[in-house]
Amino acid sequence: MSAARVPSPPEAQRAAGRPLARRFSLDLVLRYYIQLLLVVAVVVLGAIDENFRSPDNLENILLQASFTGIGAAGMTLLIIAGAFDLSVAGILGTCGIALALVAAAGHDGLAVGVALALGAGLGLVNGLAVTKMKIPAFIATLGLMNVYLGLAFIATRGQVIGIESEALRFAGTEAVLGFLPIPFLVMLLVYAACALVLEKTVFGRQVRAVGSSGPAALAAGLPVDRVRIACFVIVGLCTAIAGVLLSGELSSANAIMASGYELGAIAVAVVGGTSLQGGSGTLFGSFTGALFFAVINNALNIFGVGAYWQYVASGLLLVSAVGVQELRTYVREGN
Amino acid sequence: MNAASSSGGEGRRSGAASSVRFLQYFESFGVLLLLVLVVLVASTVARGFFTYTNITNTIIIASITAVTGFGMTFAIAMGGFDLSVGSVQALTAIASAMLLEVTSVPLAILGALVLGVALGALNGTLVSRLRMPAFVATFGMMSIVRGVALLVTRGQSVMITGRPGYAALNNGKVLAVPVPFIIVLVVFAFLYVLLRHTPFGRHACAIGGNRRAAIATGIHIETTTVLVFALVGLTAAVSGVMLSSQLLIVDGTLGTGFELQTIAISVLGGTSLAGGSGNLLGTLIASLLLATISSALNILKVEAFYQYLYLGLLLVLALYLDTLRRTFIANSILRRR
Repeated sequence: MSAARVPSPPEAQRAAGRPLARRFSLDLVLRYYIQLLLVVAVVVLGAIDENFRSPDNLENILLQASFTGIGAAGMTLLIIAGAFDLSVAGILGTCGIALALVAAAGHDGLAVGVALALGAGLGLVNGLAVTKMKIPAFIATLGLMNVYLGLAFIATRGQVIGIESEALRFAGTEAVLGFLPIPFLVMLLVYAACALVLEKTVFGRQVRAVGSSGPAALAAGLPVDRVRIACFVIVGLCTAIAGVLLSGELSSANAIMASGYELGAIAVAVVGGTSLQGGSGTLFGSFTGALFFAVINNALNIFGVGAYWQYVASGLLLVSAVGVQELRTYVREGN
Repeated sequence: MNAASSSGGEGRRSGAASSVRFLQYFESFGVLLLLVLVVLVASTVARGFFTYTNITNTIIIASITAVTGFGMTFAIAMGGFDLSVGSVQALTAIASAMLLEVTSVPLAILGALVLGVALGALNGTLVSRLRMPAFVATFGMMSIVRGVALLVTRGQSVMITGRPGYAALNNGKVLAVPVPFIIVLVVFAFLYVLLRHTPFGRHACAIGGNRRAAIATGIHIETTTVLVFALVGLTAAVSGVMLSSQLLIVDGTLGTGFELQTIAISVLGGTSLAGGSGNLLGTLIASLLLATISSALNILKVEAFYQYLYLGLLLVLALYLDTLRRTFIANSILRRR
C-alpha cells in the first residue's frame, strides 16, 4: 500500500527502506483503525454468535446506531469548529416533549416543525452564550443543559408524555426492505448533508479554518463567531431530529430520556477520528464510530453483560480513542 | 495578570493594581454580600428558615459540597478541572459503606480516601503523561467510575447499620458546631496553607497562569498535575465519606451533577476559569450561598425541578461575570500602561 505514495527525497533519506514502509502501514492502520475495528468486530461476533447475525438483530443495531449517530453528525462539525456541546441531552429531552405535547393536539407535521425549530433555537442560545458572552463552551453548555432539563421538567411536571400518533411511531420503528430502519435512512441523509456542507462549501472550509486556529481565522477576516454559532445551531437541529425519532420509537417523551447523550455523541465523533483540538475530522469516521458503538453495546447485551458495563465501555472507548490520536500524532511527528 | 495579583507585593504599580485589588476584594465580599442578602430575604419570607435545626442542616449540606469545591478550586487555579468528582464521590461512598461491613470505622474511611486519591492520580496521569485535555480525560473517567459504582452495587442500595461512630461524622457536634463544618474548616486551613504558602501551591498557580513560563522556570508540570488531581480525588472521597455518613444508605446514582455544583461554587467564589489563582474562602462562602438558596426553596416548597433551572442560570451568570471581570482587568491594565 505504501508503494502508492511517493515519498519526498528527504523523507526517503531519513527513513530508508523498510522502516519507511512499516511507518506508512502503521500510519494507515492508525488512520483507518476504527473502520478496521468495526469490520473485525462484526466478523468475529457474527462468526461466534448466531443471535448476533440474525436479521432482526442487525436491524436493531442500525436503529440503535442512528439515534446517537444523528446527534454525532452535528457534534462532529462543532468539534471541528473547535467547540463542543454538553447540553444535547437537555435539548433532546426538551424537543421530544415539545413534539409529544403538540402531537397530542393532533398535528404531526406541526409537532415535528416545532421540535426542530426548538432544537435550532436552543442551539442558537448555546452559540450566543459561547461566542457573545465568551464563556468556555464546555461549562456554558453544562450550565445550559441544567436550564433545559429544568424547563423540560417544569413543562411536564416530571411526567412521561405519551405519543398516540401512528405516523410518528412509524417513523421511529418501521424498516424499509425489512432491515433498513427509517431512522437509519434519516441518519444517512443527515451524514450526506453534513459531509456535503463540510467538504464542498465555503462554510465548510471556514469551519475547518476556525477550528484549527481561531485567531488566525479572525485575522484572515473570517466571521469566526457566526461560523461557531451556525455549528451550534446545526447541533441543535441534528439533536432535535434524533429526539423526534427517539420519541417516535418510544411512543413517549420525558425530560431525562437521553441522559448521557452528550457522552455518546462526543465519544462517537472522537472514536471516529475527529480531533478535540479542532480543525480536523471526517463525517465518515463518525458514521463508522456510531456503528461501532452500537455493535459493542449490542454485543454486551447479547452476552448478558448488564447495562452498567455500557458506562464503563463508552468511557474506556473515549479515553482510548484520544490515546490513539496521541499515538498517531507521535508516529507522524516522532521518529 | 492573575499571577501578579496573587503574589501580593505588586501594589506599588498604583492605578491598575489598585483597581484590580479592589476587584479582588469585591470577589470575596461580593459573594458574601449576596449570602447575607439571601439569608435576610429567606429569614423573612420562609418561616422556619432561621431555626437552629435548619441552619445546621444547611451548613452540613454546604460542607459536603465545599470540601470538593476546595479541590476543584485548586484544579481550576492550575488551569484544569475535574468532571469525574460526582462519580468518585459515589464510588468512595459505596466503598466506605461496603468496607464498614467487614472492618472498623477508621479503616473504612482510610480505604475510601485511598481509593479517591488513586482515582484522582489516574485522572492526573491521563492529563499529564498521556497529554489528554482535562475535559475529555475526566469526562471519560466520569462514565467509567459511574459504571463501576453501579456494577459493584448491582444497581442496589447499600445500608450502613449499627455504626453510631460513623453516623457521628454527620450528626455529631462539638460545642454546638456540627462535625461536618469542623471537617470543612480543617480541610480549608490545610488547603489554604498548601495553596498560598508552599512551593507546591505556587507551582500549581504558575502552571495555570502561564504554562510555558512555568515549564521554562523548571517546574515539574507532570508531577504537579498528578498531585493536584490526586488532591481533587481526595477531597471527592472526603465528601463521599461525609455524604454516606449523612444518608446511611448509598447507591450508584449518588453525586450526579456534583461536578457542576463544585465548579459553580468555585467560579461564584471568584476563582477565574482562566487559571492562575484560587479563592478558597470565596468557594466556602459560595457553597453556603448555594445551600441557603436550596434550603429556602425547599421550605417554600418550590419543586425540585426549579432547582435545575436556578443552578444552571446561576452558573451561566457567574461565568458571565467572570468574563466581564477578565475583560475589565485586561482593559484597566492596558489603559494604565
